[in-house]
Amino acid sequence: MDGLTFYSGFVVPFIVGTSVLFAVIVYKYVRWFARLPRRDKLSVRRGMFSGATVAAAWECLMESLLHRRIWRVNPALGYMHTSFALGWFLLIAVGWIETVAYLGGRFVPLQGHIFFKYFTTELQHGPRWGVNFEAVMDLLLLYVLSGVALALFKRLRSRAMGMRRTTQLRMGDRVAMASLWFIFPMRLLAESFTSGIHGSGGFLTGGLGGVLATVVPAGVMPIAELGAWWGYSIALGVFFVSMPFSRYMHIFTEIPLIFLRRWGVRGEVGREKSFDHFQLEACSRCGICIDPCQMQRDGGMTGVQSVYFIRDRRYNRLSRRMADSCMACGRCEAKCPVGLELDTLRVGSRYTLNNTPSNDRWAYARGGNGRSDIAGASLPSETAQVGYFAGCMTLLSPRILRAMESVFAAAGEDVWWADREGGVCCGRPMKLAGEVDAARDMMKLNEELFRRHGITTLVTSCPICLRVFREDYSLRGIEVLHHSEYFQRLVAGGRISLKAGSERLTYHDPCELGRGCGIYDEPREVLRAVGELAEPSETREEALCCGSSIAGNAIGGVAQTLMGRAVGRAFEATGASCVVTACPLCKKALARGTELPVLDLAEVVERHLMTAADSK
Amino acid sequence: MGAVNFGYGISAARGMDLDRNDLGPAREIADEVPEFRACIACGGCTATCTAGNLTSFNFRMVHTLVRRGEYAGAYREMNKCMLCGKCRLVCPRGINTRGVVMQIKRKLGDY
Repeated sequence: MDGLTFYSGFVVPFIVGTSVLFAVIVYKYVRWFARLPRRDKLSVRRGMFSGATVAAAWECLMESLLHRRIWRVNPALGYMHTSFALGWFLLIAVGWIETVAYLGGRFVPLQGHIFFKYFTTELQHGPRWGVNFEAVMDLLLLYVLSGVALALFKRLRSRAMGMRRTTQLRMGDRVAMASLWFIFPMRLLAESFTSGIHGSGGFLTGGLGGVLATVVPAGVMPIAELGAWWGYSIALGVFFVSMPFSRYMHIFTEIPLIFLRRWGVRGEVGREKSFDHFQLEACSRCGICIDPCQMQRDGGMTGVQSVYFIRDRRYNRLSRRMADSCMACGRCEAKCPVGLELDTLRVGSRYTLNNTPSNDRWAYARGGNGRSDIAGASLPSETAQVGYFAGCMTLLSPRILRAMESVFAAAGEDVWWADREGGVCCGRPMKLAGEVDAARDMMKLNEELFRRHGITTLVTSCPICLRVFREDYSLRGIEVLHHSEYFQRLVAGGRISLKAGSERLTYHDPCELGRGCGIYDEPREVLRAVGELAEPSETREEALCCGSSIAGNAIGGVAQTLMGRAVGRAFEATGASCVVTACPLCKKALARGTELPVLDLAEVVERHLMTAADSK
Repeated sequence: MGAVNFGYGISAARGMDLDRNDLGPAREIADEVPEFRACIACGGCTATCTAGNLTSFNFRMVHTLVRRGEYAGAYREMNKCMLCGKCRLVCPRGINTRGVVMQIKRKLGDY
């Protein structure tokens, strides 16, 4: 018809690369999906024909193409990622439209679209459908090339891109990255040579082609042209073959990840599961998680951040040290542009590496003589509706206990002290260490204890306990409250009154309370009632970890102290006269890092309790 | 009428031969948690222990024996630990005690 054949020897590397790429991707996705538990598959089936699918498609557009979340963290990095993703996508999409515009509905094989310029030199040039496609395509190519230039620059100078550190690469990544960087310059060169020979092309390829035609001898031009197209095709082929085995797998994997997540599939805390593969391979190793990590920033522990953990786990090279070197503070998770469940993935690996059968190892905690209560635990109360579980760390902080006592007394609360005379740990430290089976048994002991005493409210001062009570315990009929929420209710309900003061206070968000349980406002509300609140520069969702997190089994004393001091300095910079927190562990950790007095919220409330004498 | 039992008794005679004990695993543990070498065996860890409050579990005894190459029963004993982390907070030498617990459980399971 038009005599176009769309075949030349140089298309072979591209065809081979594309075939390998799609074969591997389909194999991986089908396998991972097939291994999802039934529950997840059901939830996918339910979600598929709901609004979630539309929302997922929208999220794919915003994140996979526009990378909105990266823009929010770092605009320069956002531009780089968008130029690659959106630019390349548009090159393909507009290229497709261009083909249709020039050739109508005629069937064109895949390589015909990709190497369109080479195969269609005989066609009439000029705009079609009123669009100057050559100029548009050149503009898009220029857009992608600007991203390539920025990527090169970032490798040389990560600091100038607003990143203190960028990721170290594996061999496969190097091959893929080098071929990726070659793709677009080679395309520019190839299209320019063709344009130079045929006098076609837009402002970029045509312009460069004109220059090449004057510089390169006419006899060499066709050879150079073919060489450049071969180079372009080889770069594409190498990139496509290495892609599924490199970090660039994220380009496609983010899409099924977004859909599965919208359909309600989640990672499981304390287990590895098939869904994790989607998360691991959706990681682009952008390295945004490195800078927020305090172990990196203040503790001098490099090379163990989430990006490296994900890399090692993905390639089955995970060491125990890597799995254990994390505070699970959630700061990186809050910044991850792909929204990966980084803490969940890390704890899941700890389960695989560390879990051992429980073998009823807590038998000693059951009381003797057939009693099933915890040995030595609890002051019995037949009437109390409210239980108070201090938690191990609070038991180590008598001032918090005393303060709780005063507040309970002031509110006239009838309280059952669940663990005053000794109790079983809530189980979260054991779970975070990966010994999930043993942790489960500990949780059962406490669950039985709480149920037996017929309480309807359970108050705890420890955010670690709070989180595990809410996430892992089945406490139907018992409302679990952190003491900050409890205080806020007491004040709002008029059961206690607080004296206003003029002291300037600053508040430390404990990781387990803030990012963990989403409790930010209740403690602040209580503090505003008794003094002036000064926020540190990183606060709420971005709050620093105290450095002594219960999840950090492989973090030495030196690193903890260094991190504690850095947090201390952040609080001293607020000009506050006192640091308040709502976690007994944070309290102890912060006290080591600052000269300022560190108080628990309970102590602050106790100090400002309005007594009968005050109200007169 | 027997004598009142105050809980004291005569222990079986025992001795440690440090020349014969294999200190390899103890060294490996100390390499993983270097500050473990700074332990002064004060017993703060045991005094505050959540598990020790409920049963006869003595962390100081376990890790002191481990440091001397006496590994028998250390793993079984260590499994009584709840990992709550109080010992780490009271340790005057700033030792990552939870790390020591994990290392004992990982390295001495065969003894």
